[in-house]
Amino acid sequence: MNYLQYYPIDVVNGEGTRCTLFVSGCEHFCPGCHNASTWDASKGLPFDQAMEERIIADLGDRRVHRDGLSLSGGDPFYPGNLAGILQLVKRVKSVYPQKDIWLWTGYTLETLTAAQQAVLPFIDVLIDGRFELARRDLSLPWRGSGNQRVIRLQEVRAGC
Amino acid sequence: MTEIIKRDGSRQPFDAPRITKAVASALNDAQIKDDAFAEYVAKKVSNTVADQVLVDIYDIQNQVEDLMMSSEYHNAARKYIEYRQTRDLEREARNALSRDILGIINQDNGDDNDSLLNENANKDSKIIPTQRDLLAGVVAKHYAKQHILPKHISAAHEQGDIHYHDLDYAPFFPMFNCMLIDIEGMMTNGFRMGNAEIETPKSITTAAAITAQIIAQVSSHIYGGTSINEIDRIHAPYVRMTFDKHLAQGLRWIGDESKASEYAMEMTEKDCYDAYQALEYEVNTLHTANGQTPFVTFGFGLGTSWEERLVQKSILKNRIRGLGRNCKTPVFPKLVFAIKKGVNFSAEDPNYDIKQLALECASKRMYPDILNYDKLVEVTGSFKTPMGCRSFLGVYEENGKLVHDGRNNLGVISLNLPRIAIESKGCEATFYQLLEKRLELAKEALMTRIQRLDNVRARVAPILYVEGACGVRLKPDDKVSDIFKHGRASISLGYIGIHETINALYSAGDIYDSEELQQKGLAIVERLRAAVNQWKDETGYGFSLYSTPSESLCDRFCRLDRKKFGVIAGVTDKGYYTNSFHLDVEKKVNPYDKVDFEQVYPAHASGGFICYGEYPNMTNNLKALENAWDYTYDKVPYYGTNTPNDSCYSCGYEGEFEATSRGFQCPQCKNRDSDKMSVTRRVCGYLGQPNSRPFIRGKQEEVVRRVKHL
Repeated sequence: MNYLQYYPIDVVNGEGTRCTLFVSGCEHFCPGCHNASTWDASKGLPFDQAMEERIIADLGDRRVHRDGLSLSGGDPFYPGNLAGILQLVKRVKSVYPQKDIWLWTGYTLETLTAAQQAVLPFIDVLIDGRFELARRDLSLPWRGSGNQRVIRLQEVRAGC
Repeated sequence: MTEIIKRDGSRQPFDAPRITKAVASALNDAQIKDDAFAEYVAKKVSNTVADQVLVDIYDIQNQVEDLMMSSEYHNAARKYIEYRQTRDLEREARNALSRDILGIINQDNGDDNDSLLNENANKDSKIIPTQRDLLAGVVAKHYAKQHILPKHISAAHEQGDIHYHDLDYAPFFPMFNCMLIDIEGMMTNGFRMGNAEIETPKSITTAAAITAQIIAQVSSHIYGGTSINEIDRIHAPYVRMTFDKHLAQGLRWIGDESKASEYAMEMTEKDCYDAYQALEYEVNTLHTANGQTPFVTFGFGLGTSWEERLVQKSILKNRIRGLGRNCKTPVFPKLVFAIKKGVNFSAEDPNYDIKQLALECASKRMYPDILNYDKLVEVTGSFKTPMGCRSFLGVYEENGKLVHDGRNNLGVISLNLPRIAIESKGCEATFYQLLEKRLELAKEALMTRIQRLDNVRARVAPILYVEGACGVRLKPDDKVSDIFKHGRASISLGYIGIHETINALYSAGDIYDSEELQQKGLAIVERLRAAVNQWKDETGYGFSLYSTPSESLCDRFCRLDRKKFGVIAGVTDKGYYTNSFHLDVEKKVNPYDKVDFEQVYPAHASGGFICYGEYPNMTNNLKALENAWDYTYDKVPYYGTNTPNDSCYSCGYEGEFEATSRGFQCPQCKNRDSDKMSVTRRVCGYLGQPNSRPFIRGKQEEVVRRVKHL
């Protein structure tokens, strides 16, 4: 798994103060995508152990409080990213069970593959769906177009 | 016959006896009696111009100068030259006055008048009463510079070594800067305003209405901001009176005590909300004698009683609602919300719900800024709301009790620190030597402010001195100067551009990246503080060090220095100087690191400071905004989060507009029509609406260059 950008302190991708990782690789090719440079999975830097340790350290920073981790891209659910993402979210949840994880994907919750679903138990908020230029709306929180959804997975899991 | 061309371009026959007279007069000044020499000079000049048709007056004067210099009368020559220079200066000053006046009439926004018309983002220079105020200002300024201030102080201001703030008001008028109005004393004891005797109000509705009247009156008598310290505490008794009235009515018509009480609470909540709505509209529709809506600040947040909480909620809910049909963001009153552990800091505190409301309000309307109680007490000695946007009073006691309300600031003189650094050519020792001289000058200038108020009688401003706004009830013929002594009032030395000063003085990179340069920056501010401490000891007046807001000064000093020294990279190249101790607005750091960088300064500049961070729109992320507020609690006393939330009347978009050198633009529909948008940005400690009233050029440039800290 490669990543293109990492923000150690971020307030625009999810609620609270967060660490945000933009991974490379996406097969949706949505017209109007504002992160088109992240489509190519070979772009960016390899996500290695050192990077994982950095995120773990940043999330536990005693000076600046972090509420959680945000995973965006690219698409963290791009097939080539799944193993890396699963390992990362498992690690984060085991070290910081109280911190939440937000994940942005172009797939919809209902159509996720088994491998993608395997990541879900570690995710708190899923923002799903392709970016549709015709439904672009800058006023929507956490997403770019009206078809996309902010799904609180805990509520889904609780069946409400 | 020879004609001469005068300075104004008109022509006049050559007149030799005028030369005789001028030379005789110079000789006389040098205590020399030699009429023959005067005749000789006139004759000599007459001969040289005899065969010319047109001669420039400057040529004639130069010839006279040359002849006198080559004579034995060197002293007389000097007198002649001095006289000429003085006349030239006077003439130039008269021209400047006419130019400034013409600028107002013609609404000329050329280079020179940009500063005159856009100097204060709160003044709408297009309307007649404001123009009258600007005109009065121009005349007052010119008169003060020529006839009131010592020549070298005027010159130092004119050249930009120091800045004598608010020259359009004082010293021509014996006015002071900003204050905390003693509303409590005025309302409790009653007062006279205009033709009316005002008694203690009997409801929050009346109390709010009277507060607006007091603000209008006070703001017309001082030139800086008027603040109300702890308005929740001050207005609480009137909320109680409203409640009691409703309760009596409820008992009479409903009978049942708990139902009547419920009824009274609901009615009081409505009354209180409406009272603050009326007050907010009043402030925003007022036009003071100073040609602007008053600079008002409301401080609140510490009260935990039902009444005080209701006042706090009413102020915030009104602000969240916005003004008028378009729900526009008001820029006045400035709201300052106090945060204190045990009151509203964390979830278990009684007013935590109001902190959440304050966060929502800040995300939508940028205000309130916050005062961190414990840090403020540590830095300034006691808790108080800033006067105006950032001026803080020191500790002062009367009969063993701390007093804040009714106190004031006498004015500010600011130092152009970057210039001293440029003049020192990289030599630190020279810098400190020059600084000593400028400090002397600044002190002398500050003393002129004090002296101007020396023999002033209370009757010049009854609302302040006779009716209680200053916390005293003097007789109209009493002198007012005593209430400014012994630290009751503050008087401030200001400064600007630590960032540029360090760049000019040490070519060792950016202050942010170097521990050593940070120490250097701090050392300068410490030196300034030591100076005001010394002046305080010497004079007994409350000298304090103030981090100048520099709404227009950021532009002025830089413009003058660029003219004088040219474009210097990292110093005069941007078109503005950085606000006081603030981090360069272009430096990309997160707001937490910015707070860490700036936190060392307020303790030294305790007479005035504010820190702020540039945030994105935070309406959907109050949690993160709260994280940032909480982080500042034990680090900086006074903090503002710049969270732009603009609105487009064209497409309905709400969020941050894009800033460009030419104005603002909606990111969704690309609307650039300034009438179809509401854009709010921080100008200094105050906010401004640059779409309707443009900022001065240097300030707009600074706004465009601001990078997000997140």
